[in-house]
Formats: sequence, C-alpha cells, structure tokens
Amino acid sequence: MFAYVVKRLIAGIVVVFMVSMAVFLLFWYGPNEPARPLCDQQTSNHCDTARLARYTENLGYNNPVLSEYGTFVKGIFVGRDMTIGTKTRPCPAPCFGYSYRTTVPVWGEMKTRLPATFSVAIGGASLYLLFGIPIGVAAARRRGTVADKALVSSFLVLSSIPYYLFALLTWLYLTVIFEIPFLSDTGYHPFTDNPAKWFSGLLLAWIVLGIFGCTQYTRYSRGAMIEALSEDYIRTAKAKGLPARTVVYKHGLRAALVPIVTIFGIDFGVLLAGTIFTERIFDIQGIGFWSLQAVTAKDLPVVEATALFSAVVLVVANLLVDVIYSVLDPRVRLS
Amino acid sequence: MSAQTAGPETLGHLSEEPPPVDPNSKQAKTITGKSPLRIAFGRLARDKIAVVCAAVVLFFVLVAVFAGAICSIFNVDTETVLATTRVDFLNNGLPLKGPPNHGFDPAHPFGVAPNTGNDNLAFWVYGCRTSLMIASIATLFASVLGVSLGLLAGFLGGPVDKIISFFTDFFLTVPFLLAALTIAPIVSQRFATSPHYARIQLIDLIVVLSVFGWMGIARLIRGEVLSLREREFIQAARVLGMPTRRILVKELLPNLVAPIVVSISLMLPAFVAAEAGLAFLGIGVTSGISWGQTINTASNFFEVYPLFLWEPLIGIVALVLALNLLGDAIRDALDPKTRR
Repeated sequence: MFAYVVKRLIAGIVVVFMVSMAVFLLFWYGPNEPARPLCDQQTSNHCDTARLARYTENLGYNNPVLSEYGTFVKGIFVGRDMTIGTKTRPCPAPCFGYSYRTTVPVWGEMKTRLPATFSVAIGGASLYLLFGIPIGVAAARRRGTVADKALVSSFLVLSSIPYYLFALLTWLYLTVIFEIPFLSDTGYHPFTDNPAKWFSGLLLAWIVLGIFGCTQYTRYSRGAMIEALSEDYIRTAKAKGLPARTVVYKHGLRAALVPIVTIFGIDFGVLLAGTIFTERIFDIQGIGFWSLQAVTAKDLPVVEATALFSAVVLVVANLLVDVIYSVLDPRVRLS
Repeated sequence: MSAQTAGPETLGHLSEEPPPVDPNSKQAKTITGKSPLRIAFGRLARDKIAVVCAAVVLFFVLVAVFAGAICSIFNVDTETVLATTRVDFLNNGLPLKGPPNHGFDPAHPFGVAPNTGNDNLAFWVYGCRTSLMIASIATLFASVLGVSLGLLAGFLGGPVDKIISFFTDFFLTVPFLLAALTIAPIVSQRFATSPHYARIQLIDLIVVLSVFGWMGIARLIRGEVLSLREREFIQAARVLGMPTRRILVKELLPNLVAPIVVSISLMLPAFVAAEAGLAFLGIGVTSGISWGQTINTASNFFEVYPLFLWEPLIGIVALVLALNLLGDAIRDALDPKTRR
C-alpha cells in the first residue's frame, strides 16, 4: 500500500512539474510583447518603446528562460522581490507575481476568491451525490418498468442540453423575470459575515449544478448498480434469505460505488479548479470568474496562476482517487 | 465490410438477430448476406427518434451549407450600413420595426439585434455555419489523432503504449475549458492586430478542441485493439508476414468501425456545445459570428427582448439534442447488447 501511494505521489509531482513548465513556457513564448499589458495599464495607455523596454527588463523577459523559470519556482516556495513600474515590492511566499490589473500579489487575491469557488463546488457536489445515487439505485431496482424508462429518457434529454444554457435560462427566469424573493440575490457573501445571505446567494447555483450533475450520477449509478445486481454473489445473498434491503445496499451498492467514486473524484477536482460557467452566470466572484476577467483584461500572471492552481488541484484529486480506489478495490494496487 | 475479417464469434452472434423484414413477405424467405453495418443501419432506420433527429441534423447541415443562399432568399445581410435606421437609441437601442414591440417585420423575419441593428436571421444562419464547421473539423482531427494513437498504443504495446497512455491520462486531467481560457489571451495578445485575426481565432479554437478531445476515443480504441490483436485472424496475418502498417489499416481498422462511429457521433454535439460555450464566455469566436456570442449579448436584453435570446438558444439546443440522441441511437444500433 505504502509503495503504491509513493509511486502515485511521484507520478503526480512529475505531472505538476510538467504542467508548470508548459504553462510557464506558454506564457514566455506565447505573447509577442509580454510586458505590454502591464505597461499599458501602468502608464494609462501611453506605453512607448522606452517604457516598454523598461517593463520588459524589470519583468525579467530579457534573461534566459530557464533561469527565469528557476526564479519563478523559487518565488513560489520562498517568495521574491518584484519590480512593477518604478517601485520594487516584496512578493511573499507562494509568489505567482503581481496582477497587472490591480497590482496586488496574485496569491493574496486568490485566497479571497477560494472560499467562493469551494462553497459552490461543495454545495453542488453534495446535492448531486445526495440525489443522484439514490435515484440511480432506485431506477436500477425497478429496471425496465415504465417509471425507470421515463426517468432514464427524461434525464438523457436533460443532460443533452448544454449546461450553461440550462443555468442561464434558470437564472434569467428565476431572478430577472419572476424575481423569486429568496433566490434572486445571487452572488457570494462570506459565510462569516452573514450565513443567511451566503446561503441564499449560492442556493440557486447549487440547485442548478445539483440538478445537472444529478442526471449524470443517476445514469452512472444506475449502470453500475445493474451490473452489480447481476453478479452471482447477489443471487447467493438472495438465496440464503437476506432481506432485500441488505442485498441491495450492503452487497450491491458497495460494489457499485467503486466506479462512482472514481468519476466523482475527478469531477469534484474540476469543480474546485473553477466553476467558470456557474460563477459567470450567477455572478459569484470565485476562481473561475476571476480567470475569465483576467483573460479579458490580458492579466497574464493571474491567468498563469489560475492555470497552475487548477492543474495542482486536479493532480491531487487524481491522486486521492487512485488511493481511495486502491483501498476499495485491492486488485488495483496488486497488479 | 468487416464481415470478411471478423472472427467466427461475431458472425455467430449476428445470425442470432431476428430477421428485420416482415416474415409474411416472400423476400423474407430468401436469405441474403448482410454486413454488420447494414444491419445496424436497418435498425437505425426503424428507430423513430433516430429518424427525427437525423432530419433535424440534416436541416442544420443544409442551413450551414446554403447560408449565403438562404440570406439572399430572405434578402438579408450580415452587414449593417446604418444602425440608426433600424434601432432607436433613445429607447435602449431597441429595434424600430419588428419584434419585440412592433409586431412582425417582413424585411427582417427574425427581427434585428438591439444597438447594432444586425439582422438576426443572417446572424443565425451564419452562426449555424460557424458552429457546424468548427465542430466537424475538430471532430475530424480529434478522431484521426485518437484513432491512430489508440491503434499504435494497443497494437505495439510496451514502451509505446506506456508513453501514449501517459499522455492520454495527462491530457485527461487538464479540463479543456481551462486550456482554452489559458490560450485565449495569448492568441489575442499576439494576433489581435493581424488582418487575419478572425481566421486565426477559428484555427486556434479547432486546435484546442482537437488537442483536448482525442483522449476518449484513443482509450476506447486501445482497449478494443488489446483484445483484437490476440484473435486468430491477426495472428494469421502476422504469420503470413504482413507488415504492421497493413495489419493496422487492413485488418484492425475495419473491425473498429463501430466504436469509431459511435465516438464521432457523440464528439460532434460536445464540440458544438463547447464552441458556443466558449463564445458565450467571450473566449471563443469573438470577431466572427457565433450563436454563443449572440446569447451573451442577448442575455442583457432578455427582459425586454426575449426573442433575441431564444433564437440562437433554440438553435444550439435543437442541434446538440438531436446530435446527442442520434449518437445514442447509433450506439444502440451498432451494439444491441447495450440497449436499455
């Protein structure tokens, strides 16, 4: 078990290293004038050649790429000093540079936005797990009945509609047209300030995310459950006279949960990395919305940092999934 | 076409299918050989949902192909010479004629857009073209990439398989939305002043969609090849001294038609949705015409001008829904075991 975890951990670190390298190189070689957006911002669009050259020099774009990558990585672990405009400012430990748009350290701003994304992700994911799996199990038990067929086909149609259109229409009708009192004030308000406002601001996003995820998890768990219930040991359990509830939940569901855990781990990682559509539509100031705003403003350090952040989150999610999977299904780590 | 190369198990399985023709007719008595693909096609043709969906998809394809002709029939244009002749800037930039406040305007059957005064029908028709063009080119590239990598990984095994599988897993961990988001500012920074910016944006979008869309099909093909390569007909081909390339193309590929067709038919709607989604976020097609972009503009006018939003929205939903359901029907037709 330990050797397996170590092996996966090393693979994860290699992937993070590769992604950080790829992102850094992309932002190094991609833009033809990487300092231009900052220069425009700082001089209110009076960026001439001399100023641009100074900004390029200060941001380190004249140094060799590998040594700058070294500085970047070092900055993430121990922090560094950065020269923005005329002043040299400190950039404390996890240093991802200074935002071009707001000239504050990227990590500082990211920290204030993490709770919003995490709230959306955790709320939405728990809703769809809470409803998706039981509905899927119930459908699998009634496989082939009219109710099952109706459920499966309606969920198939619903999940075929692009998520963002579903979310957008829900938002437009509930908050703009009908102005439902408790739901219409969407947005993120910190939990510690006002828990009720936090709840009502996020409720609609949770519900939409929950309904949409529910359609997928119902399908997964129904499929996994049908497969598990057709196993021989289920017949044995039934034959020895166990109550139906025990057969379904203790013998069937436990086996069916293994693939669902895998899918859920990765899905949840994607959610934590930034629920871009949800945040954009429901106006929640999280990581996803932030990176979208940064793209529009050509705020390169912010885009770079969010890309790195999501890569790390996804690698960790994958790692956890692998470890949990190996606990649930010992065949994985032995092969 | 794959019946000649398929193993005896496949043929035995297929002969268990009930005859598709009416047993009372005379034709049913004569036994004719049918390839698995033709059997599947027959099943598809009897599936009512599939036929309706295929008709819807065909409609959109025709709209996309004949976008110019449709515009000239209705005498509309994507260019707006003078916006003030069409919209009232004193009244939030809403149209002077036609929906939402002035009934129907025969000159602009779908109405005109607020503020810009662009004709909605022309934008809808060309939006359909953008959507289908990007989705189908990206599907083509992604499936060629995925199929060839999957074939190589599955058939060659060893270090090649290890490397390809690593990259498959690697790309699977990067969500494509984030990749598109990361690449968008770089492309716009580099090429914003270029005269071919619109075209560069299209190419960028196609590249991002294909580079982040090939993994599913590669995995699927690899798995299929792993089981196929141990079969007798492949061993026979090897013993006969057939070169690897010929085994891959002539022996393996025809047996993989079913999974490839299924993957392609489910990839297409995903790419249509992705294209519109990116345009909606403002990081996809921004300097061309796209349904997603219209939706983004229209959501601000929804309260006063809902039709403006509904037009592109119905376009996307109908196209994606029809493609998805058609893909599902194709999967059921090709592999009856998965039937619900």
